[in-house]
Formats: sequence, structure tokens, C-alpha cells
Amino acid sequence: LIVYVARRIATAILVVAGVVVLTFVIARVVPGDPAATWAGPHASAAQVAAARHYLGLDRPPAIQLLSYFGGILTGNWGIAIHTHRPVLSDLAVVAPASLELVTAAMIIALVVAVPLGLISARWPGRASDQVIRAGSILGVSMPIFWMALILQLVFAQRLHLLPVAGEYSPSLLFTHPLTRLTGFGLIDAPLTGNWPMFGSILSHMLLPAVVIAAYPAGLLTRMIRAQVLDTIGDSHVQMVRSLGFSERAVFGRFAMKLAWNPVAAAVALVFAYSLVNTFLVEAIFDWPGLGSYTTASITSLDTPAILGVTLFIALVYVVANLAVDIFQAAIDPRIRLR
Amino acid sequence: MKPHRALPIASGCAVALLLAACGGGSSSSAPQRAASQVFTYDTTATVMDDGWDPATEYSDGIIAMSQMYETLTRYDAATHRVEPLLATSWSSADGGKTWTFHLRHGVHFHTGRLMTAQIAKAALLRTIKLGGGAAYVFGAVKTIDTPDQYTLVFHLKYPSPLDLEASASYSAYIYDTDAAGPGGNLTKWLNTPHDAGTGPYEVQTWNKGQELELILKSFPGYWGGWSGPHYKKVVFRVVTTDTTSAQLLRSGAVDFVEQIGPSIWKSFQGDPGIRTVASPSWQNLLAQLNAKSLSLPVRQAILYAIDYPGIIAALQGAAFPSSGLVPAGLLGHSTSLPNYTYDPAKAKQLLNQAGYGPGKKALNLSLTYTSGDSNEQVVAELMKSNLAKLNINLSTQSLAWPTQWAKAKSANAANHQSIFLEYWWPDYADPYTWFTNLLQTQKPPYFNLSYYSNPIMDAQINRVESVVATSPAAAAALYRTMQVENFQQAPVDALYNVNYQYAMRTNFTGFKVNPAYANVVFTYNLRPTGS
Repeated sequence: LIVYVARRIATAILVVAGVVVLTFVIARVVPGDPAATWAGPHASAAQVAAARHYLGLDRPPAIQLLSYFGGILTGNWGIAIHTHRPVLSDLAVVAPASLELVTAAMIIALVVAVPLGLISARWPGRASDQVIRAGSILGVSMPIFWMALILQLVFAQRLHLLPVAGEYSPSLLFTHPLTRLTGFGLIDAPLTGNWPMFGSILSHMLLPAVVIAAYPAGLLTRMIRAQVLDTIGDSHVQMVRSLGFSERAVFGRFAMKLAWNPVAAAVALVFAYSLVNTFLVEAIFDWPGLGSYTTASITSLDTPAILGVTLFIALVYVVANLAVDIFQAAIDPRIRLR
Repeated sequence: MKPHRALPIASGCAVALLLAACGGGSSSSAPQRAASQVFTYDTTATVMDDGWDPATEYSDGIIAMSQMYETLTRYDAATHRVEPLLATSWSSADGGKTWTFHLRHGVHFHTGRLMTAQIAKAALLRTIKLGGGAAYVFGAVKTIDTPDQYTLVFHLKYPSPLDLEASASYSAYIYDTDAAGPGGNLTKWLNTPHDAGTGPYEVQTWNKGQELELILKSFPGYWGGWSGPHYKKVVFRVVTTDTTSAQLLRSGAVDFVEQIGPSIWKSFQGDPGIRTVASPSWQNLLAQLNAKSLSLPVRQAILYAIDYPGIIAALQGAAFPSSGLVPAGLLGHSTSLPNYTYDPAKAKQLLNQAGYGPGKKALNLSLTYTSGDSNEQVVAELMKSNLAKLNINLSTQSLAWPTQWAKAKSANAANHQSIFLEYWWPDYADPYTWFTNLLQTQKPPYFNLSYYSNPIMDAQINRVESVVATSPAAAAALYRTMQVENFQQAPVDALYNVNYQYAMRTNFTGFKVNPAYANVVFTYNLRPTGS
């Protein structure tokens, strides 16, 4: 197992390094002057030159890249041009909101997908199966911005059940301001006993989380259905059945257990995918996450910030997949031999 | 910095149509409620993106600065007159070379200090010394005297309309120069952030880069007092998607939407909870053509190739045709100026002269515009399509305003764009800014991003301010001459004038459009009604 894990980590490091090099090159190809942006609108030529030197932009690109790699290893991801703050500090502010949103979405997706996938597999071809399959396809194929707008229109504007946008109600700023401890609003609010804020964040999060959950829910429902149907005819499942276990147990305990391996791998991939997919949803719901920071970084030609976001997302992909790989290898020895 | 008022990225025509179709009946969204103490201003771009120094701030911060700071006078676009503000009266002598302003008594800064002529003088001298923002409006000032605690006497180098200039929307603020304490660095202190003005509101919280970016609270010691209904807080909420802005307005979560896509703006009409206001502005969208890299025939060809009526039609009421550079309502505006019109045949002929055009060598050009501005995006796409017919490949790039500007000002000319799109509006009720900032020789370039240099025009620009003070008719003629020259040399073209399209809740009264202060809502003047 140790050799397997070491091999996977080495591959992961190579992937991350490749992503960084590629992003670095692409960001450098776009014409612009980050030093002038850094120095500000009233800067003199000398101040711009000083900024260029301070940011290390007057060094050869290869040296800049090497220096960047060195920085990553020591926790220095560079200084964002458009905020003048360390990129890692910026990410520590914006990433929790996105991670919180995507985690909520994944929980919703799993809560929806597991029972629906099992129901669909239990009675294949029936009306319930048809409806669930159609719903899954809808969830996977519906443009995310469209769904966001429709839900916003119906649940916020028409029915007034949920707030339109934002992380919490602005009026709470005056009565129950949020004290940030971890950066995760849903953790910080209860930790500080700020229950009105907790409720407000929860209600503001629901619509965007449901929108983000649509794709993984559809995907996982179909995957669970297919996996369960694949294993339900296997001899060991037949044996369980012959031992007199109820159909619910056959499906829920034994067939589903075999489906967890590929589902876990898909969850890891979809989590990281959703992190990127959330950018548009964040814009529509004014959710203060990675989306707006990334947009501002791109339009500012802010190479350190762009690299930081890319690196962060690559790390999420890699770590999530690594965790699943290790998990699978731990429970299924055959995987280590592949 | 004189950037833009960005329109948010619309999520496509289908979305707009959806909202238009569904929005009409949404009036029920605003439940009856008591008069709110909080006024929420929905804006599309970061508010305080050019620092907190009232001497140098030259960007979208005007919408917040105008709540915290005040000037000696304020221009009323409805009456075309300069009204008292921190100065209660003023007079000029010596043919417009000496101006005396009598200051209002009992005005306190947010720092607690009493406003005196000495402090006002120190503020203006600091602004002039720093030379940032629109400090050029005090370019004529030679010395300032303070014969008593409440009198300011300006001695000018040449006649200048100082009462008008003192009403400028940038760099004319009176502030406490000792706010940072003895020996303190005022700029650093201001950027913490703090404010040191006399206005009705003072800063409470600044959440840089966040949706609820800025919260202002009422200043209890405001000279105007707080009797009667007034908003006690002002929240600036940055919403980048106009569909979301629409929903927020309908739900009552925001009170005022600065600008919004035309089709969505129209969908508000007939909604009893929302009032729409359309008003011609003093703002136009400019195309600055790189005079260093593009020859005169090519510049002229580009301007003849643009389908102006097509652009205006595409913007559905948010734009109207311009005539020259100066919008209607300002000195020097004329409807009889020569203007570029959509004439592809003439464009082709001019391009052929330069060795380009259909069947000849392709011309590769670049255009930059401000990201997040759907109207600029429409213009860029239409221009690209118009120019493609003439074998001109226009590559368009949307950038954040600071980046777009920094790229254009870069010391490396290879970074410069062929065409720079930006909005422009006056710093005070006079068109001087279009000429001194955009057409006067600048080395290095600052806002003259067509890199144009013409000694004759430079001399005219140097002269026009004093002509305005002494003979408005002669000044109008001079402004006309310079616009004709701009037409002939084609460094800058006003593609259209902006028609402000505001949408707001009906739960307050007192809103007036004042094009002299672009997109500013003077919140203190609003009366919350609670409907």
C-alpha cells in the first residue's frame, strides 16, 4: 500500500507542476503590464519600474517560474496584483465560501441520488424508473445559469420563500455581524452563538446549493442505478437473496456496497468539477466565493492570482482523487495490483 | 482615473426576455413596510477602486465620496446655476481673476474640527500640490488668502470660472488636512480607510472586494441637521449580474439600481413598486484611435466603417446619437458639427489609399474595453463585424479598468491598443475635460490614449479656460473649432451619448438626476416614505 500511495503522490505532484507551468506560460503570453496595474493610476514611470522590480517581473520568465515553485514550497504563492495581498491570504478569504457551497451541494446530491438510484434499479422500466432517469438527464443537461435564474425567479421573486442573492441578509450587519474564525460562515456563526446569522446563511445557501447539486445528483443517480443493476445478478448477491434477506437489504446493503467504489471516485471528481462550475452560480447568486475573485484576477491579468486559483483547484482535484484512490486501495487489494 | 460605469454582463437575450416576460407581474414582491433607515445602492463595479484620498480619487468612488465630502458650490443641472454648499456666497472681480468665497458658519468635519477658511485653503493647496484626479480644475489658482476665519480669496493667473470649477465632482472637496494628527501621513490614514469630510455621511465599514462593499452612517454633527425623514445608513452593494440586480430590486433588497441592461430596465415599467427614470447624460462612449500607429486615412476609414445607427438600435434606448464630443447641455455643444456617419464605401476608398481594404493587404488591429460592461461589449462586437467587411481583423480584449488603462499607458508602445473604448464625462459643468485630458499632448500618456499631439490644438486648449470666464460665446466658438479639428484628425470619436436608465423603489422621494455628478444619488436629499 505504501508503494502504491507513494506512486500516486508522485503522479499528483507531476500533474500539479504541469498545471502550474501551463498556466504560467499562458498568463505570460497575454500582453499587459501588471507592474503598472500594481503601481496604481497615479504612478510615475519610476514607480512603475520599482513595482516591476519588486514583483520580480524584470527577471527572465524561467527564473520567475523557478522562484514561483520555490515559493509554493514555502507557502508563498505570490502577491495578487489587483488586491496587493498575498494570494494565499486572498484564497483563505474566498475559498471557504465556495468550498462550503460545494460541500452543501454534494450532500444534497448524495441525499437525492442514493435513494433515487436504488429505486430506479429496484424497479427498472417502471414509471418511477422512467421519471427518475428523465429527471437525471434533466439535471445533468440543463444549463446551470438557466436553472439558477428559474429557481431565483420562482422561489425568491414569486414565492418569497428564499432570499434572492448574497451570503446573508445585509440587515444582520447592523444587528448580528458575523465574526470570522474559520472563514466558513456555517461554522463560524454557531461557534460564536450567532444563530440569526446561521439561519440567514443557510437560507441564502439553499438555492445556489440546489443548483450546483443538480449535475452531481443526476450523474450519481444514473451511476448508482447502473452499478446496482450490474451487480444485482451476480452470484454472491443471488446467494444473499437465497438466504432470505429482504429486497431492501439486498439492494441497500449488498448491491449498493459494491457500487460505492465507482461512486466514491465520481464524487471526488464531481466535487472538484463543481468547484469550477460554481463560478457562474456564484455570480448569479452573488455568493462571495472563488468565482468573483477569479473573474477579477483574469480581467486584471493578475498572473499570481490566476496561478493561485489554478493551483488551488488542481490541488483539490488531485487531493480528492488521491483520497479516493487510497480509500479504494485500502478496501480493495486488487486495485493496488493494477 | 476616469473609467466607466460598467453595465453588468447580461446572461444573454434569452434571459432578458425571460425577465421581461415574467417581470411584469412581480409587483407583489414588495410588501408594505415601514420607512427604512437604510438606503441600498446597487452598483456593478467596485466603488472605492481608486483610493480614499479626496484629492486624487478619480473614479467610481464619486458615488460614495459625494456622500462624505462637500465642495464650496454645487451645480444644479436643472437650473443651470451654481448653488451654495460650503460657501454661502461668492463674487468675482478683476475680470474673473479674483474670487471671494464666504464660507458657511458652524460646519464641522467628521474629525470634529470646525471648518475654517484656513483649513479649506490647506485642503485646496494640498489637492493642487498632489496634482492627481481633476486637480487641473484649479490650474488657474496663483494664491489663496484668508482675510478672516470664513473668507477665502483666490488670486488667479488668468480669468477662470472658479465658482463653476469649485463645484467639480472630483478634487474640489474641502477636507481636514490635519485628520491624521500632527506629522501623520494623511493619504495613508485616509486609505485605512477613514474620511475627513463635512458631508452628511461618514464611513462605517469598508469590505474591500466584497458584495456589501461599503456602509456609510449618518454624521450626527452634519450642518444640515437630521430633522425630518432621512436615511441614516447608505449601503453600496456590488452586484455583477444584472438579472440578480433586477431580482434584488423587485424583492426590495436594494433601493436603487445604478444602471442595468436596457431590456431588463424596460421590464420594470408598469411595476407599481418600481420607478424607472431615463435621462440624457453628459457621458459618452469614446473610441480613442492610436494616432501613433494608425495613419489619418486609416483612422478616418475606421470611423466611417462603424454602423452608428446599428449600435444605437442594439442598445435599445440606453444610447442616443452624439454630435461632436460635447454633450447637449454643455457649452460648446452644437448639432451642426461635422460627424462621422456609417459610410462603408468611403471607408473602403480611404483604406485603399493606405494600401488596405478588401482584396488588399489585411489590417490587424486590437481594441480594449472594460470587462463587465455589456454595452461596451456590444459595441466591440459590432465594430469587429463592421471592420471585418473591410478586411480589417479587429481583436477585442475585455479587461478590468485598471488593467485596460495600465496597458494603454505602458511605456512599451507594443502593449498599446489600436482602439481604446472608455466612457467620459465632465469633472464640472464645462467640456474642458474632453480637450485637456483627451486631446492635449501628454508625455507620458495619461488619458490621451490616442497618443495624439497637435501644437495648434494644445494652444487652443491652454486658452479656452480663460475665454470661458470672460466670453462664453467666444468659448463656445473655440470649443466648436476644436471639435471640427478633432473630426478632421480623427483621434477621438464619441460613438454615442449615454441615456441614463435608472430603476429604483418607490419607497422614497426627492431623487433628481444631475448629470454634473455622474450616477451620484445625494442620499441626504432623499425622503424615505415607507410605501
